[in-house]
Amino acid sequence: MSDKYIIQIKNLTKIFGDGVEIKALDGVNLDIERGEFLSIIGPSGSGKSTLLNLIGILDTPTSGTVLLNGVDVTKMSDKERSRTRNRELGFIFQYHHLLPDFNALENVMMPLLISGVKSSKAREVARKVLDEVGLGDRMEHRPNQLSGGQNQRVAIARALANKPSIVIGDEPTGNLDSKASGNIYELLRQLNREHNQTFILVTHDERMAAKTDRIIRLVDGRVAENSINSG
Amino acid sequence: MFELDVAARHIRSRHRQTIFSIIAVSLAVGIIIIAMSMMSGYTTIWIDSIVENQAHITVHPKENEDYIHLYHGLENHIYNQEGVEAVSSYFQGEAALQHKHNAEGVLLYGINPKDEKRVVNREKDMLVGEFASLENPGSRIILGFKLAKNLDVEMGDIVTAQIPGARPTDFTITGIFQTGTPVDEIIAFTNLERLQDFYGSGDVITGMGIKMSDAYAAEELANGIDRETGYDAVSWIEQNSEILSLLETSEGMVYFFYIVIFTISGFGIANVLIMIVMEKVGEIGMLMAMGTSRRSIMLIFLLEAGILGMAGVVIGCVLGYVASLAIASITIPVPPEMYFGMDHLPIVIEFENFITAGIFAMVINIIAGVFPARRASKMNPVEAIYSV
Repeated sequence: MSDKYIIQIKNLTKIFGDGVEIKALDGVNLDIERGEFLSIIGPSGSGKSTLLNLIGILDTPTSGTVLLNGVDVTKMSDKERSRTRNRELGFIFQYHHLLPDFNALENVMMPLLISGVKSSKAREVARKVLDEVGLGDRMEHRPNQLSGGQNQRVAIARALANKPSIVIGDEPTGNLDSKASGNIYELLRQLNREHNQTFILVTHDERMAAKTDRIIRLVDGRVAENSINSG
Repeated sequence: MFELDVAARHIRSRHRQTIFSIIAVSLAVGIIIIAMSMMSGYTTIWIDSIVENQAHITVHPKENEDYIHLYHGLENHIYNQEGVEAVSSYFQGEAALQHKHNAEGVLLYGINPKDEKRVVNREKDMLVGEFASLENPGSRIILGFKLAKNLDVEMGDIVTAQIPGARPTDFTITGIFQTGTPVDEIIAFTNLERLQDFYGSGDVITGMGIKMSDAYAAEELANGIDRETGYDAVSWIEQNSEILSLLETSEGMVYFFYIVIFTISGFGIANVLIMIVMEKVGEIGMLMAMGTSRRSIMLIFLLEAGILGMAGVVIGCVLGYVASLAIASITIPVPPEMYFGMDHLPIVIEFENFITAGIFAMVINIIAGVFPARRASKMNPVEAIYSV
């Protein structure tokens, strides 16, 4: 069963605050298949980003478990979490978070260098991925020399560089105009098909969500809708 | 090692602030190297002047005895000890010197100038006359510069020495010396045999000076002589223990100031790093998301402290070296007798001082980096990423 599901979430709860407690997630159960392209939607404050951060092992839950390839990530040590993030997960945020002092190529190389890949090999891989996202001619440019859409493509290339099994996007097109958004969406979709990686996207854009395989709607920290898109 | 790459880029991106923090460290290192070179200079001068102007070991009579009898045997015994270069026996006695209406109490030293010359180079202190003139067993005397002044005498004048129970004796002045120390006011040298005669003591001495090839071996030999012969042998280290411990204490005090100066420059580095950490919160969060361990984040900022510190140390060493040379070349308008005959500040440039100042600065700079680095490594990745 764990072979089919890359992520299994059981009874996941996250409570914030020491004085006034806020239940961001309230007993969420969710299974995600390998290679799925799904979206998480919901009003702001519904727990979308919290859920994403727990899947991304950036945060720890108050209770419940997250199994990644059958391994409970909530029980991992700090070091194992870092390692797993580096090997298994790729992140794309609303703001690209590229390192401003490095050019596009060096930014994409970074996850590879962190995992200990040699610089020459990392350069080769990063070139290939940047070509794939259509930025083959902008590799030497720094983030401040690129447009918002281009920076987001670099961020996507960076998320894919280590060939993670799961790519997480928190409003990846939130900062872009509708044309650039559409292009980014198409790119993600295409990458998903080509590499069979699992994509989990948080979005408030219903039209974009409608184009994913499955929509998870969160309301008040609970799964209110879990629907497969037929078309 | 991507940590080093990230650290170097951070520093380059804030080059203005980083240059100031490097300057602060350079100045601290430079000033401390100058201070250390001066300390070394003064210490060297003190010790050199002690080692040069005194016997390395002085042998005194046994307890409750006034003289060393049959001293020729002891002379030979000591001369055959390892590391002994020269031995000079002396007879010392108190007397009053009189010239016309002036009289002064003095310490008369009867010596054999040939032996004495090999233990302490008195010839270099001579203002007029020659120390070797005392080789003549006649009634000749050499006075300290101030003593001569107090008695109002010159070369060739005659002074009368008086002690209770002996006939007053005239001595002709054949030399005047100046050491720049209180010795100039109270000491006079004569021929050993002549003085033994004057005191009517027979062929005895009151002490013996020893010169060693290695001044620092004096302590051990002095203890050996003490043990083997029963005579009271005192090394220059023991004799000057107060001055030496004063030198040591002042060196300790100076180190306290070094720490203060380095700490101030360390704050400069800490300040720049805190700014970088604050500015790079989102970036730190993203690095963590990409799988950078907390240890690596810590390492990045410690490396930054290290790079800034290293740059400061290298520039500071050059600065300290050049400034020390410059200071050493300045002539100071001070009467030479006030500063051991120096007309320059005593600067001794020692490689050791550069190493000490460098390591000292690096340690404090790394410590200055610990706080910002820990702060960066303890960040919650989620908060860091969404703070932008």
